[in-house]
Amino acid sequence: MSILLTEEQELIGQSARDFAKEYLEPIAVDMDHTGQYPAAAVRALAEHDFLGLFLQGEYGGAEAGYVSLVEAVENLSRTSAAVASIVVNHSLAAYAIQRWGDPGQKQDCLPALAAGRTLGGFAVFEHGPTPGVGPDALQATRTPEGWALKGTKAYVRNAGVAGLYVVLACTDPAAGAKSLAAFIVGAEASGLAVGPLAETMGLKGCPVADLVFDNVILAETALLGGITDGAAIAAETLALASVAEAAQTVGIGQAAVEHAAAYARTRVQFGRPIATLQAIQTLLAETATDCHLARLGLRAAAQLLDQGEPFQVEAAMVKQFLARTGAKLLIDTVQVEGGFGYSEFMPLPRLFRDIAGTTLLEAPADYPEKTIAARLLA
Amino acid sequence: MPNILVCYKWVLNEQDIKIRPDDLSLDTARAKGKISDFDRNAIEEASLIVEQQGGTVDALSYGTPAVRQSVKDVLSRGPNRLLWIGDPGAEVADAMVIANVLAAAVRKAGPYDLILCGEGSSDMFYQQIPARLAALLGLPCVTFVQKLTLEGGTLLAQRKLGDCTELVSVTGPAVVSVLSEINKPRIPSLKQVLGAAKKPSEELALESLGLAPEDLIPKAVRKSPKGFLMNRKNVVFKESDAAANVAQLVASLAAEGLR
Repeated sequence: MSILLTEEQELIGQSARDFAKEYLEPIAVDMDHTGQYPAAAVRALAEHDFLGLFLQGEYGGAEAGYVSLVEAVENLSRTSAAVASIVVNHSLAAYAIQRWGDPGQKQDCLPALAAGRTLGGFAVFEHGPTPGVGPDALQATRTPEGWALKGTKAYVRNAGVAGLYVVLACTDPAAGAKSLAAFIVGAEASGLAVGPLAETMGLKGCPVADLVFDNVILAETALLGGITDGAAIAAETLALASVAEAAQTVGIGQAAVEHAAAYARTRVQFGRPIATLQAIQTLLAETATDCHLARLGLRAAAQLLDQGEPFQVEAAMVKQFLARTGAKLLIDTVQVEGGFGYSEFMPLPRLFRDIAGTTLLEAPADYPEKTIAARLLA
Repeated sequence: MPNILVCYKWVLNEQDIKIRPDDLSLDTARAKGKISDFDRNAIEEASLIVEQQGGTVDALSYGTPAVRQSVKDVLSRGPNRLLWIGDPGAEVADAMVIANVLAAAVRKAGPYDLILCGEGSSDMFYQQIPARLAALLGLPCVTFVQKLTLEGGTLLAQRKLGDCTELVSVTGPAVVSVLSEINKPRIPSLKQVLGAAKKPSEELALESLGLAPEDLIPKAVRKSPKGFLMNRKNVVFKESDAAANVAQLVASLAAEGLR
């Protein structure tokens, strides 16, 4: 593995940082207060190819690869992890269709996703303990025309603004989660409703809501992959989510560390800048180290993706590492800034709320250990 | 359709440069390169002109061998082709040497209808290259340009001067240096970044430019670049009486010579 970025990957990271400065910095704080969806910024993301970043050129994508994806996501997240969340969830739907779609599905969906004419959403979770289990689990039943979907998907990001969802549904109530299949569902499908937007702790501006399926009729062509592929689609796509969200976490963490370091240089206590105090230096050094090591880990996982190699174990390791260190990054940087850092007029509270989201969402924190151990003990 | 050349300098990003507190020397070990700020405006202006009118844009740079790192960044911003001269001697080159090399490269690669430069580079800010280049090429030079239109073979340039603006018309080829307010440099899209690798770039060997040895000997030699650190006095007036604090502050500033 090379830990160095290529020139293109560096430039894509720089483009994301420049983009964030121009388009996201002016709206990030307001978005955190109002939770308003940043439609103009998403259009600009599309114009700069961020929504088709890794998609194949034949579908209009930039074909820049997954290391570029995490580099872009990290640099967007330094300024607005909420907007990066929109990109990540769109990317999960696009990834699933590019990976498991048949030629017709790819031709129907990917050009619009790549150009940002359609935003994607990935709907896997339910209110029950696991998809396919619980009173409102999404059930897919065969019909003469294709499929009928009934039930609810929970905590769907990009809900209400996506034009297309990749949805996991159970095809056999008796088999529950073992019978998951994936479907491509257009937002305009009859019987599909978006629930009230959830009030979230952070990542405000990236809409989260339930999708309610009231006998949504789908053609046979809506089935993504084989009828038994749902669990694999969910597992691999969520592994990509782990890597992309790790990039969000590192971006937020890096922004916090840099802010705390700048604060420490200028804040004078006991007659000297607090940056000269060993306790402050230790906090800054530890947080910067955690960011650096996590960045190396997630780039390694992304590089495996670029090479078409299995990456789920490495993705789980990154997820596990950041589940333990992500929130601590913010606790420690707030500690550096003390009472000022705790104040809402400083950026750290927003970063704190956002990092809680990027370390908790899409995959539960106790799941990575299971993946890693399964590989070790096989 | 105009055939435009844009000159740029690949400089160290000043945000990455640290000042060593012991001797105020500059620590550039971790400084990355970037296109000099005003030169980005020049590149953008050239690209906008050809996007509106057709034509081509060549980019040209003279620098240390590190200038090679700029190839994709520059080409992602619009130019069709890049010419560059990598020379270890560029590290100590003064404005005269830089202009000599650029002029020789223009004679080799040209002619051009318009040569665009930034008003000054982010590192040295000599503000001499456009004028020297124009003189060496026998072309008119228009500096401090904040607005530019090109119609047929005529340039209309609005110059920003100290307390006024000036409109200048130039017929025929010219060297124009631009200010930052002339445009907002684009953020290249990802496809533009990746497409840069497909555009032609060519390294011109310094010895192929027909320069005499004395053309490459700097007359102005930079001895010791040093950082500047502001040492704060850390004087704090924090008595409970705010009016007394203000009075002490004013007296203190007056004692420092502030009027």
